[in-house]
Amino acid sequence: MTMVREIVKNKYLYLLALPGLLFLIVFAYVPMAGHLIAFKKYRLADGIWGSQWVGFANFKFFFMSSDWYKVTFNTIFLNGLFIVCGLGIALALAIFLNEITQLVFKKIAQSFIFMPYFISWLVVSMMVFAFLNTTDGILNRTLAANGLDTQNWYLMPGVWPAILTIIYVWKFAGYYSIIFLAAITGISGEYYESARIDGATRFQQIIHITIPLIRNVLIVLALLGVGRIFYGDFGMIYGIVGDTAPLYPTTDVIDTYSYRALRQLGDFSKSSAVILYQSVMGLVTIVIFNAIAKKIDKDSSLF
Amino acid sequence: MERSLQQARSVRTKAVKVKTDRSLSEKTFVLFIYAFTGLFALICVLPFWLVLINSFAAESSIKQHGYQLIPKAFSLNAYQYLAHGKQIASSYLVSTTVTVAGTVLAVLITAMYAYVLAHPKVKYRNVMSFLTYFTMIFGAGLVGFYILIANWLHLKDSLGALILPYLLNPFFAFIMVSFFRTLPYEINEAATVDGANDLSIFFRIIIPISKPVIATVGLFYALQYWNDFFLALLFIDDYKLHPLQMMIRQLISNINIGAYVGGSQTTYSQPLPTYGVQLATVCVTIGPVFLLYPMIQKYFVKGITIGALKG
Repeated sequence: MTMVREIVKNKYLYLLALPGLLFLIVFAYVPMAGHLIAFKKYRLADGIWGSQWVGFANFKFFFMSSDWYKVTFNTIFLNGLFIVCGLGIALALAIFLNEITQLVFKKIAQSFIFMPYFISWLVVSMMVFAFLNTTDGILNRTLAANGLDTQNWYLMPGVWPAILTIIYVWKFAGYYSIIFLAAITGISGEYYESARIDGATRFQQIIHITIPLIRNVLIVLALLGVGRIFYGDFGMIYGIVGDTAPLYPTTDVIDTYSYRALRQLGDFSKSSAVILYQSVMGLVTIVIFNAIAKKIDKDSSLF
Repeated sequence: MERSLQQARSVRTKAVKVKTDRSLSEKTFVLFIYAFTGLFALICVLPFWLVLINSFAAESSIKQHGYQLIPKAFSLNAYQYLAHGKQIASSYLVSTTVTVAGTVLAVLITAMYAYVLAHPKVKYRNVMSFLTYFTMIFGAGLVGFYILIANWLHLKDSLGALILPYLLNPFFAFIMVSFFRTLPYEINEAATVDGANDLSIFFRIIIPISKPVIATVGLFYALQYWNDFFLALLFIDDYKLHPLQMMIRQLISNINIGAYVGGSQTTYSQPLPTYGVQLATVCVTIGPVFLLYPMIQKYFVKGITIGALKG
C-alpha cells in the first residue's frame, strides 16, 4: 500500500525511470533464467523450462576434462599480466608526462598515447596481422632482411601471452595514465617545493612524493582489476585470436571457450555450466576485492 | 692555518663536483623521460600511420616489399574497388544508423534513469540503485542473453539486436547519478513552487544544465556502438546488415573477398587488391573517430577521470 502511494505521489519520476527499469528487467534479469540450463539437458524445442533436469552432469563433464584447468589458468594468467604490466607502464607514463615541461611535446605525446583506446579490437586485430603474418608481415620481413629465420607466429602459442600483453599495454596505457595523471595533478605543489629547497632531485621527488601519494589509486585500480580476474576480454581475445585453433592452449579464456561451446558446437548446456561457474567465481572475487578496495579508498571504489 | 685553508678548498671543490654530478644525472634523467615517453607515443601512433599510408599503396608494392613507412608505389585502387562494391555503403549505413539511434536513445534513457536514482524525493532509489549495481557484479551470461535475443525477442538479423542490448550501461548511469547529485536541490524546489511537474523540470531545466555530462556519456556510448562487433557476431548473419566492424572481420577471414565486397554482379577486371581493401576499410571505419578526435578527446579524459574517482 505504501508502495502504491509512493509511486502515485512521484508518478512522473517513476515514469522517467520506467524505460531504464524495463531495460534492466528484460535485458539483465530475465536472461538470468539461462543459468538454469546449466542443470538441464537443453533442447531448443523444449525450451528452458521444458528441458530435462540433469543435476550437476554438465559441471561434472566440464570439471572432469582438462579444459577446466586450461581456460581458468589462461583467464587468470592473462588478466594478471594485463593488470601488472598495464598499470605499471601507465603509472610510469603518467609520472613522466607530469615531469615533462615542454607543453607541445606533452600534449602531442598524450594524444598519441591515448589514440589506441579509440579503435575496435577488430581494427587492432588487422594491425596485429599486418605485423605478424607469415608471408608479408612486418616482423618477418624485418627478420628476413636481417638474415634471421622467419617464424610462423600464428602457430606458436608460447609467445602469445607476451604478444597479448604488449597489445593490452599499447591499447590501455593512455587510458590508465589519464587516471594516474589526474591523481598526480591533485598533489599539492608545496610538497615538491619544499623537497626542492631540501635539494631533492627529480628522481627522489618521484620516489618519495609522487608514488607514495598516488599509491592508493594504484592499489585500488589493481584490486578492481583482480576482482574481475575471472572475466576475460572476449572482444580482445576473440577479435585477435579468432578461430586460430593452434593458439588455444595459451589464449583460450573462459569467455571464448563458452562462446565456442554455444555458437560452434551448439552445446547450450555445457556453455551455460561454464558461464555459471564463471559468474559465481566472478561474483565472489568482485565482492571481496571491491570491499578491500573500498576500505583502502572510500572515493575510488564502486559504491 | 695553511692546512685549514687547504681543507676548505678541497671541501669546496668537492661540493662543486657533487653539484655538477647531480645536475648531470638530473639532465640524464630528464632526457630519459623525454626519450621513453616520445618512443612510447611513436609506437602508439606507428600502426595508424602504416595502415593509412599503405591503404594508398599499390597492391604490388605491398606484395613485393611488405608494409612500408613510405610505400614504393601509390595507388587509389583499393578505395576505387571499395567504392565500386555495395558492401561498404550498406555497412556504413548500418554502423551510422546504429550509432546515432543507439546513442540518442541510450543517453535519454540513462539520463532519465540516473536522474531518478539521484533524486532525494524518490523513496525506492536505493533499491533501484542496488538492482542496477547487481547487474554489474552478476551477469546473465551469454546463453541466457543469446536465447533472449534470438528465441524470445526474435531479433536475429535486425537492427534492434545491435541497438537494444546497450541502451543502459550501469557504469555510465552511475557517472550521471554522481553528476546529478551535485546539482543544488533548490533548483527543483523553485521550479516546483512555480508549478512545474517533475517531467518538465527534467526536460526543461535539468537537461540544459547537464550538457557537459550528457556529451561525455553520449560520446562513450557512441564509441561503444561504433566499435562493437560482439552483437553483430552473435546475431547478424545477413551481409546486408553487417556493420563496418563485421565487414573488417569478413575481410580478415573471408577467402572470397571479391564476392563479399563487390556483390555478385561486379565486373571489375583488375586483380583484387586484398591487402589494400582491408587497410582502406579500416581507414574509412576509424576515419570519423579521428576526424573528431581533437574535439572529443577532452570529453573522454573527463569521463575517465570522473568514472575512476566516483564510479
